[in-house]
Amino acid sequence: MILMQSKAVFLDAYRELNAKKLFWLTLGLNLLVVALFASLGINKEGVSFWHWTFDNQFMNTNFIPKELFYKIQFTAWGVPIWLSWATTILALISTAGIIPDMVSGGTIEPMLSKPIGRIRLFITKYLTGLLFVGLQILVFAVGCLLVLGIRAGSWEFGLFLAVPIVLAFFSYLFSFCVFVGLVTRSTIAALLLTILFWLAIFIVNTGDTIMLSQREGAILQVEDRQNDVEVQERFAQKRIEQFREQGKPIPGEGDEPLPTNATDSLSAVNPTLTTARDRLQETKDSVPTWEAWAKRVYILKTVLPKTQETIALLERHLISDDELSDLMQMGANGQSANEDEPAMADPRVPERVAEIMRGRTIWWILGTSFAFEAIFLGLSTLIFVRRDF
Amino acid sequence: MEAVIDVSGVEKMYRRKVHALRGVDLQVGAGEIFGLLGPNGAGKSTLVKVLMTVIKPTKCTGSMLGEKIGDKSTLTQVGYLPEHHNFPKYLTSRQVLRHFGAMSGVDRQTRNKRAEELLEVVNMSEWATHKLGTYSKGMRQRIGIAQALMNDPKLVVLDEPTDGVDPIGRRDIREILIRLKDEGRTVFLNSHLLSELEMVCDRVAIMVHGLMRQQGTIDELTKERSGFVISAQSQLDSDAISAAQKAVGGIDCKVSEAQSDLRFDTQSADRVQPAIDALRSRGVIIESIGFHRPSLEDLFIKAVNEHPDGARPGAQGAEKGARS
Repeated sequence: MILMQSKAVFLDAYRELNAKKLFWLTLGLNLLVVALFASLGINKEGVSFWHWTFDNQFMNTNFIPKELFYKIQFTAWGVPIWLSWATTILALISTAGIIPDMVSGGTIEPMLSKPIGRIRLFITKYLTGLLFVGLQILVFAVGCLLVLGIRAGSWEFGLFLAVPIVLAFFSYLFSFCVFVGLVTRSTIAALLLTILFWLAIFIVNTGDTIMLSQREGAILQVEDRQNDVEVQERFAQKRIEQFREQGKPIPGEGDEPLPTNATDSLSAVNPTLTTARDRLQETKDSVPTWEAWAKRVYILKTVLPKTQETIALLERHLISDDELSDLMQMGANGQSANEDEPAMADPRVPERVAEIMRGRTIWWILGTSFAFEAIFLGLSTLIFVRRDF
Repeated sequence: MEAVIDVSGVEKMYRRKVHALRGVDLQVGAGEIFGLLGPNGAGKSTLVKVLMTVIKPTKCTGSMLGEKIGDKSTLTQVGYLPEHHNFPKYLTSRQVLRHFGAMSGVDRQTRNKRAEELLEVVNMSEWATHKLGTYSKGMRQRIGIAQALMNDPKLVVLDEPTDGVDPIGRRDIREILIRLKDEGRTVFLNSHLLSELEMVCDRVAIMVHGLMRQQGTIDELTKERSGFVISAQSQLDSDAISAAQKAVGGIDCKVSEAQSDLRFDTQSADRVQPAIDALRSRGVIIESIGFHRPSLEDLFIKAVNEHPDGARPGAQGAEKGARS
């Protein structure tokens, strides 16, 4: 009977989706995006779209193999922009009403009067909400698999990993949406508060990137300035040795006084050393501050769902570390930090930040996110079980 | 009487403020049509929802179909039509019936067969492939009743089944109720339409302000206020009244407020003849003599008037509270 009832709830959810124009609209848009994806190409000259070719000195098959090009497109905008933003917004609009509609007067009574437990009814209904996104992602993934297979000759079944990953991402938001929908019984409130919550997560994610960039920038700057100081000191040491050979007095040694702006013999013979040392100290002082902020944001992130990192898991799977490293080097090739620019502007910083992000464990990303989802889903279930309708 | 529903002391308090049920005792016998009536806010729907596990009672002892109230497995044998139901508008009536059949645990083959039979019973076969969104209120009500019968229930609980249904539809529903009774099922009706209840119910209960005020067969309940009524053309003087009372001996006699009617608590015409003679001998002009049996409406109004709290606006919050 359990299977029969669950099947009935899913079938009803499918019919409800089927009756919604938005479901078909989203599906149509998914296919359109797949068609655009298929229209993109790469050749020796650059990037092509239909029969037009746009010359590009980096984006061509001399640097990027066809297969990697399509994987990059899929992981760079197919998943993070299309599936994670556009489809998710459409999915939230379509599914935000599932729980408020279910608990509305006249609808809930026939359901509760059937021999099905409240917990099972609620969880099954929750899962039907995920059905919407599941179907959409599946269609998109199949479309992209065909594009990659036909256009690049690579049948990358790893693309299907997008289904559970994007589904997990959506489920974090949906658990919050369900909670608000149940408490307020309002679709509009559920939708708006979920989008606000999503925005808050986005801000925290951005804050995390900024703090990590600042910290890593500061660390790199310390390394650079430390080298600079060492170079200056070696130069000063050479000068002192020259002074000795020439029998000239060395400031700070014996009775020879130090100039006012010098702290030792080295800085006395090389005045720029003092400035270099000051700048090094200044940067060293800033590191603990950025470290503290990065830690605070990390703690905050730990309790929130990791939307950005969850989506990035797909990129981790599809693009190897070597491929990523090559791409990063292409972007940062030959560039180094300008002394006068802020630490964050160092072109090596994004690579370091990406490395740190990639270093975050799957358990931390998914475990804490699912814990968040479990808490909200648990709270919602508790409310549903205890409430009188 | 074998009781299908046997509960006592049912209490429901909403948010520690609204006392919707104040210790309701209720017995519904197997195979009968039982009618529950009461004014708005009396707690009728709350009681039904308690039985259907939609609402958790604050206090409740007793059973339904031999199992404790709140036991989900019992609901496989119960059909329920809620008041103001809102079945999915994107489904056809056939799909609605099959869906709720599956939810009740009816196997595929049986529910497909039963859906067709019930569509026939509620005269909706021609509309089987139309979506509920295109139906009138009466048509939706018919589908609601059919839905409640999908699991071949022993007990059918119908909350305002004739709500929004035209007179022909009401007659059809009455026929369905009688047919259900003939099939040996127990029907629990919750309705405002007293005349409807009077026509089909074996027993009724009147609920006011969260308490069961009267319960029994219609005969039992109306017996108390039935009897022969002698109506005089004008107000009777005390001498005529006492003469009439004296003439009938031990029969209880009640005088109307206008003092023009005398009601004798007997069903025998012979027993009131001396009173007629006594009145006639005093020159009283008798306008009419007849046996009077109060209607369910009379009983209902009497029950509400005896417990005016039941009609006060605050009490209506009890029913509203149930939906909030």
